[in-house]
Amino acid sequence: MSAPISPLEQMVVVLARDLADGELGAAGAAALVPMAAIALARELHAPNLTIGGEMFFNPEPGRLYPSMLDDRALGRCEAAETFIELFGHSHHGLDFFFHSGLQHDAFGNINLHHVGGELHTPGMRGPGAANLSYCHTSTRFYICPTVHTARNFVEKVDFITIPGHLSGPEAKRAAGMTNEGPRFVVTPRAVLDFDPATLRMRLKSVHAGTTAEEVQRHTGFDLAVSGDVPTTPPPTDDELTILRERVDKTGTLRA
Amino acid sequence: MDGQTKPRRRSKVTGLRDAARLARDALQDRPELCLGGLFKQGRPVALVRGLLAAGAKGLHVYSSPGAGYDVDLMIAAGAVAQIFIPGVTLENRLCPNFRRAVEAGQVTAHALDALTVVGGLMASAHGVPFQPIDALRGSDVLKHNPLIREIDCPFSGRRIHAVGPIRPRVTLLHAQEADLWGNLRHLSTMVYADQLMARASDIVIASVDRIVPDEVVLDDPTRVTVPAHYVDAVVEVPYGAHPTASFPHYAMDEDHIDAYADLGDAARTGDRAGLDAYIARHVTGPKNQDDYIEAVGGAQHFARLEAEARRE
Repeated sequence: MSAPISPLEQMVVVLARDLADGELGAAGAAALVPMAAIALARELHAPNLTIGGEMFFNPEPGRLYPSMLDDRALGRCEAAETFIELFGHSHHGLDFFFHSGLQHDAFGNINLHHVGGELHTPGMRGPGAANLSYCHTSTRFYICPTVHTARNFVEKVDFITIPGHLSGPEAKRAAGMTNEGPRFVVTPRAVLDFDPATLRMRLKSVHAGTTAEEVQRHTGFDLAVSGDVPTTPPPTDDELTILRERVDKTGTLRA
Repeated sequence: MDGQTKPRRRSKVTGLRDAARLARDALQDRPELCLGGLFKQGRPVALVRGLLAAGAKGLHVYSSPGAGYDVDLMIAAGAVAQIFIPGVTLENRLCPNFRRAVEAGQVTAHALDALTVVGGLMASAHGVPFQPIDALRGSDVLKHNPLIREIDCPFSGRRIHAVGPIRPRVTLLHAQEADLWGNLRHLSTMVYADQLMARASDIVIASVDRIVPDEVVLDDPTRVTVPAHYVDAVVEVPYGAHPTASFPHYAMDEDHIDAYADLGDAARTGDRAGLDAYIARHVTGPKNQDDYIEAVGGAQHFARLEAEARRE
């Protein structure tokens, strides 16, 4: 019998299922889970998906790396670009992108700048972020932090680095944000999406082995859980086999 | 022939110490320094160490939009006043001295984004008064970013952003190869913003893994990433990007950077002895790059990083 499904493998499969053939997208800064999802989608149903927008096209890494800003992670790739072309991609937008941060809030806004205090007198200063454009110039993006606690899922972020749905549809319109924004959030515990009327986060499904109560307990705002919450469809045999044999040959997602 | 000799073209090759002094003196006019590469790849770290050893202070540091080890080290050495880099991180962990100094109010870290920095360098490189940007919405960074203004687009009438030229006084780059005249060849897969910075700056100084014969450049001019026209000085520095990578020659030294970050974290929580010893051993102590190579672990250590760069 094969090894049990890890939370990161579950995340990868959820993301891979939502990427379509022929799309253009990139992984973002924390690349491990997104790159695995892109690679799995290309193996399963999206052979014409193009990886681009981060200064390289269609890398062929020998194994999964935590960062794509590493020539080893690119392996061989089809083409390289520079920040000049990235300036253009940032305006034209991609089909999909991925983000995660220090804090995520009930409207999918993400903070990477500071926790506590003010920007120039921070309690804790975070790294900041380079690309603040793909989140709204791209057709959509996914939020995929690899931890899910009441500390990094908060009602309101201390600083909006990456805007999600701001405070809802009205605020997004006022800011000139016309694309979908964050489509859903996937964590090691659950999948969360956004109420189409209010754009507030809600619990969509919980991964096998956890419960809605547990997810709520590890979330710093009310998920308005009522009734039965479905279980996230686990990886199929096909998905798991291809993920382990062709995408994550070294088992990084199970480490 | 009447014996008249042909005048000789001037070589731009210089030594690490002279290059560092050139940079330090120029930065005393105007402290805007810009660093090539990105995060743990292609950073001109030997030149940065030289600049620190030469006593540079009060620097305003720019980079391609992401930096880590070298900027953190410059802060640890007390050389930095302001940072104009959107993302400052070691990627697998936070930059300890950056955090400490910004939280203590000793260094100002401006909130910026990649398009502002790249757009500002584009305006400078292209010789135009500003670069329009029409892809910034909704982020709190827009409330704090000191380099952008809102303008009316003269064609659509829409409110958009503009960034003025970013003109570094000195840009430091690392490439894999150069000829004597300063033509740079990046052999790594990505060149990031190095070409743009070279065209945007007053003075450009590059470290390279090796100087190559003229024929190497002339045989394949499309391979030259930064023509000598933009380059003021070149220094041949073995492992000059260490502990960042210079692919395809050597990989980043993750263990070295992690050990440094541990010392930085100790300093952040009150014990600076290890960090000070690190700076003495690696920055102010070595008289030349050979000394530095020994301090890091010698030829065997670097042979491992070379092997790692070749591993698929």
